[in-house]
Amino acid sequence: MTTNSLAPIVTLLQQRAAISSEWMNEVLRVWMRMYPGLVNEDELRRQADALLKELAKLFSEHSGETPPDIGANSALGEIARELSADRAKKGFKPADTAQYVIALKNVLTQHLVSTLNETPASLTLCLRAVDGVLDRLSLLTFEAFVETRERVIAQQSLSLVELSTPVILLWNNVLLLPLIGVIDTVRARQLTERLLESITKYEASVTLIDVTGVPVFDTSVAWHIMKTIDAAQLLGSRIVMTGISPEGAQTLTKLGISFANVISRATLRAGLAEALQLVGRRIESTGGVHK
Amino acid sequence: MKIPILRLGKILLSSIQVDLTDADAMQFQNDLVNKIAEMEALGIVIDITSLEVVDSFMARVINDTAGMARLLGAEVVICGVQPYVAMTLVEMGRDLIGVDCTFNLDQGLEIIKERIGMRGDATMIEGEG
Repeated sequence: MTTNSLAPIVTLLQQRAAISSEWMNEVLRVWMRMYPGLVNEDELRRQADALLKELAKLFSEHSGETPPDIGANSALGEIARELSADRAKKGFKPADTAQYVIALKNVLTQHLVSTLNETPASLTLCLRAVDGVLDRLSLLTFEAFVETRERVIAQQSLSLVELSTPVILLWNNVLLLPLIGVIDTVRARQLTERLLESITKYEASVTLIDVTGVPVFDTSVAWHIMKTIDAAQLLGSRIVMTGISPEGAQTLTKLGISFANVISRATLRAGLAEALQLVGRRIESTGGVHK
Repeated sequence: MKIPILRLGKILLSSIQVDLTDADAMQFQNDLVNKIAEMEALGIVIDITSLEVVDSFMARVINDTAGMARLLGAEVVICGVQPYVAMTLVEMGRDLIGVDCTFNLDQGLEIIKERIGMRGDATMIEGEG
């Protein structure tokens, strides 16, 4: 027992074909139902094989007094990472991805219990080792899963930033900045820069900021808009805010934000009328046909 | 108890005549704000002649409602603030900033019409029909 108390696990893992098929049956039963068309069975079996091989190596190298440790950069960690990154991209649920490792643990535990029920001490030791390693493994899979998801999200927000924020010259000296979507720090800076450039270029004395397309107002969104407004006012442009929803107005007021030095109008239509009045213009009916 | 909100052209008119519970006050605020947005009101007049006392919550509701209405593009006039109410409001440091106050509804309507008349959207859009 001193040579390697984890020998039963190694022996078990060497019957790779049997373990693998039992394990895959378990996993595939769920996945085939949940993700039909996304599961490549051959690929999955190959991956399982590689994972089991690495696991056997890991257990044979450890004598069992201290539970084997898997670093994130070890071969095993690498495999786990690759697996769950792939799953994350394909849109698997996190729980189902974790299920993969847990299924293996179940299979191994069952086998160990049935082979070692004569020697409880050895069984305890082996179970603890299997538990430790596979728990760590499932944490790694989970981590990799989240990492991949986060990367996807980061990419998406990047493409959102690149969605242009146009500054429109509505009339002589009147600019329109239609805001759409969530305003975060990066976008806010970008659109402020662009707006200020345009204000200077066109000498806009009135700037309309339309927030009809901003879904939620929180402190940070309001703060960013306020900074943009302040900067525009420093250049000498007057600001007309339009399109604040009733919910938006309530939130802003509760946050203590009043946009005190800004004219606010319910709709872009009303805002445009106000802006035109500020630059001394008006729209009049010509008595045309299309009324 | 629901406070009625009356429509007078593009102006909303509301009169608070009884002491409101906190829940009623919030309900009133919510109703008013939604109504303003729904009909694109150009102004609101809130009459509080019958209100003898206000507590800090009510003062805040009045103030907040005025702020929300402004964000939604409506002018705000409060009329009929009673002496005691005025004192409470001032003592609580909650003067109604940026809100015109008048003695009675008559003057309130006059002032709000004048203020609306100065706005670009009122003259232009109403003219457009």
